[in-house]
Amino acid sequence: MTPLTLFLLASLLLLVLGLIGLITRRTVVGLLISVELLLNGAGLSIVAAAKTSSVSGLLDIHGQLAALFVMGLAAAEATLVLAMVLVVQRRFGRTTTDTISTIKGS
Amino acid sequence: MNNTISQFFQSAGHLLAELEQSLAPVLPGQDLTALAAFAVYVLIILGGGLTAVLARNLVRAMMGLVVTFLGVAGMYLLLASPFLAFMQLLIYIGAVCVLIFFAIMLTKNTSDGEETRYPAVCNVLLAVLAALAPPVLAGPIIYKAAALIPTRTPVDSTANLGEGLLSMDLVPFELISVILLAAMAGAVFLAWPHPGGDKS
Repeated sequence: MTPLTLFLLASLLLLVLGLIGLITRRTVVGLLISVELLLNGAGLSIVAAAKTSSVSGLLDIHGQLAALFVMGLAAAEATLVLAMVLVVQRRFGRTTTDTISTIKGS
Repeated sequence: MNNTISQFFQSAGHLLAELEQSLAPVLPGQDLTALAAFAVYVLIILGGGLTAVLARNLVRAMMGLVVTFLGVAGMYLLLASPFLAFMQLLIYIGAVCVLIFFAIMLTKNTSDGEETRYPAVCNVLLAVLAALAPPVLAGPIIYKAAALIPTRTPVDSTANLGEGLLSMDLVPFELISVILLAAMAGAVFLAWPHPGGDKS
C-alpha cells in the first residue's frame, strides 16, 4: 500500500458518497451539496497524484495549481446554482428536481 | 508602522516555512504517526460525508459538508501542501458553504418537507449499487498502477506556487478570472427581477 493508493482510495470514498447523495437527494440544494463532495474528491486525487509521483518539482506545482483551479470552478458553480435555485423558487414555488420539467411555453 | 507590518509578514512566512518543513517528511505508508493522522482524517471525511448525504435536514447536511471539508484540508496538510489546506478552508468553508446556506434559506426547504421523508429502501440500495461502480472499475487500476510509481515528498513554498501561477499556468489563471466574472455576471442577471419578462 503506497501513499498514493491510500489517498486515491480516500478520494474514491468522496466520489462514492457524492454519487449516493446525487442519486438519493430530491432538492436542487441537496444535489449542490453532493456535487461539492465530488469536486473535493477530484481535487484531492489531483494533488495526491502530483505530490507523490512527480519526477520533477514542476509537476507537483502544476498539481497544486490545478486543485486551486478546481476550487475556483467550484466557487463559480456554487454561485450559478444559487442564482438558478432563486429563479426556480420564484417561478415554481419549490425546488425539488421533478418540478423543473417544463419547457418554456408549455 | 510599515516596519511592523513587514515584520509581521516575515514572521508569518517563517512560521509557514517551519510548518512546511515539519510536514515535509510525513506520508502514510512510511511513518506510523502519518498513518494514524490519515486514518483520523478518513474517519472525519466518512462521518461528515455520511451526514452530508443522509441527513434529512439540509442545514445539518451542510454542517456535515463543513466537517468533510475540514477532513480534506487535513489531507492536504498531510500531502505537504499547507497553502492548499488554507485555501480549502477559505474558499470551501468560507465561501461555498455560505452560498449553500443562502440557497437553503432562500428556498424554505426545511419547512417544505421534501427532504424530510426518507427515500425508499430499494432506492437507497440501488443508489449504493450505482455508486459502487466507480470503485469496482477504478479500484484495481489504482491498486496496481499506484504500486509501480515511486513516491517522494517535495517541499515547495507559496512563492513557487505564485511563480508557477504567473509563468506556466498563466493562461488557466487568466481564464479562471474570466470564468468567475462570467459566473458572477450570470448570477446577477439570473437573479435580477425582469419586469414583465418572467412570469413570477
